[in-house]
Amino acid sequence: MAYTLNVCHLYGDLMNTYGDLGNILVLNYLAEKMGVELTSEVISLDQAFDPDKYDIIVFGGGQDFEQSIVSKDIQTKKAGLTDFIEDNGSVVAICGGYQLLGHYYIGANGEKLLGIGALDHYTDKQKDHRFIGNVVIENEETGEQYHGFENHQGITFLGKGERPLGKVLEGHGNNGQDKTEGAIYKNVYCTYFHGPILARNNQIAKHVLINALKRKYPDADISKQEQLKVTETF
Amino acid sequence: MSLKSSIATAAGKSSYWFLHTFLKGGSSFPGKITKKIDPNILQNLARNYDVIVITGTNGKTLTTALTVQVLKEKYENILTNPTGSNMEQGIITTFLHAPRTKNKRPLAVLEVDEANVIMVTKYIKPKAFVFTNIFRDQMDRYGEIYTTYQKILNGVALAPNATIIANGDAPIFHSKQLPNPMIYYGFANQPEGDIKATPNTDGVLCPQCQHILHYRYISYSNLGKYFCPNCGYQRPELNFALNKIVELTPKSSKFEIDGEPIKIEIGGVYNIYNALAAYTVGRFMGVTPAQTQQAFHQGKSIFGRQEEIDVDGKKVTLILVKNPVGLNQVIDMISTDKDPFTFIGLLNANYADGIDTSWIWDGDFERLPKMNIKQFITGGERYKDITYRLQVAGVDPAKHLVEPDLDKVVEMIPNAPTEKVYILATYTAMLHLRKVFATKGFIKGGLD
Repeated sequence: MAYTLNVCHLYGDLMNTYGDLGNILVLNYLAEKMGVELTSEVISLDQAFDPDKYDIIVFGGGQDFEQSIVSKDIQTKKAGLTDFIEDNGSVVAICGGYQLLGHYYIGANGEKLLGIGALDHYTDKQKDHRFIGNVVIENEETGEQYHGFENHQGITFLGKGERPLGKVLEGHGNNGQDKTEGAIYKNVYCTYFHGPILARNNQIAKHVLINALKRKYPDADISKQEQLKVTETF
Repeated sequence: MSLKSSIATAAGKSSYWFLHTFLKGGSSFPGKITKKIDPNILQNLARNYDVIVITGTNGKTLTTALTVQVLKEKYENILTNPTGSNMEQGIITTFLHAPRTKNKRPLAVLEVDEANVIMVTKYIKPKAFVFTNIFRDQMDRYGEIYTTYQKILNGVALAPNATIIANGDAPIFHSKQLPNPMIYYGFANQPEGDIKATPNTDGVLCPQCQHILHYRYISYSNLGKYFCPNCGYQRPELNFALNKIVELTPKSSKFEIDGEPIKIEIGGVYNIYNALAAYTVGRFMGVTPAQTQQAFHQGKSIFGRQEEIDVDGKKVTLILVKNPVGLNQVIDMISTDKDPFTFIGLLNANYADGIDTSWIWDGDFERLPKMNIKQFITGGERYKDITYRLQVAGVDPAKHLVEPDLDKVVEMIPNAPTEKVYILATYTAMLHLRKVFATKGFIKGGLD
């Protein structure tokens, strides 16, 4: 059986600051090994998001200015994105992308900028301080360890139905207070890990692909795909 | 000159003499002393000079050197600052040890760090500014292209009569209305279409209406003939344009500016932009195209930054990479080599390298498998990251060796299957290699 998965690279031309494109490249690389054909297309300003067209959304982080523009435009896609998430669509959201799936974040000049509230977190801002450095976390459900690099001024607090992507073993995570980093809600993975989180953590990439396959092909036997061995790349 | 300035100058000059004679070096310390004694010292030192300030995130150093070379065709005793002395105190020091000149209006060509433009324009009203480009630099030193440009403009605001000579292909340089006279240079060498930049390009929003910019053609990154289909914002008319690229090799570029043939002894399209900037300053200052050609020909040694190192019979080119735009330019440059070669990629993540290695995923390594590369070697402290990057790019594992230890990488060079070897290395990896090459006698001295 030929499997295909379609990726929406949400605002890929604006939210791309730290090697975020690597996630698309790695999904494609692993999909190929699974015998899955992956397509990817950028959906950006003034373009409609059709939830029925896609199996995976990759939503990266951007600079303050770009993110403020996206904050306005994404309101027009709010219904489609929320439906996609509620319908168990797979999402990887990073930094700014993570913040915009929540209720709001605080912009460069202290202004409150809206997210779409599809997830129940919100983001405040540290005063004149950023969390910068390497991070190690542990997914408390699977025991997997994830490695990354964080660089953020925003501090995010999780809400209803969300659990952290992992418990912070090293670094700061969501807010430097509650030892959480990132968020998982249904098939949505959020993180402050910079850019190519999937390149450094192949296990997450695998979960994303498997979740998407299960959703699209509920009756297919994908045990072969599930057995794919992933390499340690960090 | 006031008594205060005289004392300050004397103190600065003697400290410069002392540092150079006894301590070998110290290019900003004399400036520091002088500035302490007389805060307005720069105004006094530079008051007779015509000053050209060159700024931007990439290409400042070479553009400055080339501009000096071009202007030498017409002007004598041009003052310029050495590499790395591009902040306020280094510039004061430069003026402090300027040789005496009989010129009534001697010329100074200064490379100035973006944030330091205002420190200079507080005291000096330049004749011209040159804006090379604004790309994001090392990723973990947080800065945005818009704030960087604003820093430059804060400085320019104090010199509203200075002519701005700007890269017209960079959308950001046309985004603010300025009172200054403008001269634009750029590329006009490709057939026109309607394209967008690749998804991992920075700075593609229309500065007027915040829609995504389109391009008639792109030279690299977000540089090109841009236009906004939504509001009509577009690249300004170019005053000086490159209209043909004749031949590119890793070591030289032949092209035509306004129909005049030019050759420079260095590869890379980004260096053509630097040459075009220097050419434009030359024209602005009355240097003829023929004189510029002559200047580039005579100034060959200026391009000597990418020397070829003989390592036991292998021709090794060691190139510093630090951000995606630069990396992609290097990948583009090595793609012009007609001979087969060996590719070595070395990734460290110390502070000077940038501690976040995410940027390698914005590099266009996918082009490597299409080149005539016989062997790949990856190494350095973060060898796992760079090795996986090449794997994902489709590099054949049968041709790919991995060696974390940089000393051992050097030992592998004589066994490379090709005569030519390109090494792309981050800063501390490059220093390490240069040290080893120096110890083994392949190059003189370990450090630049």
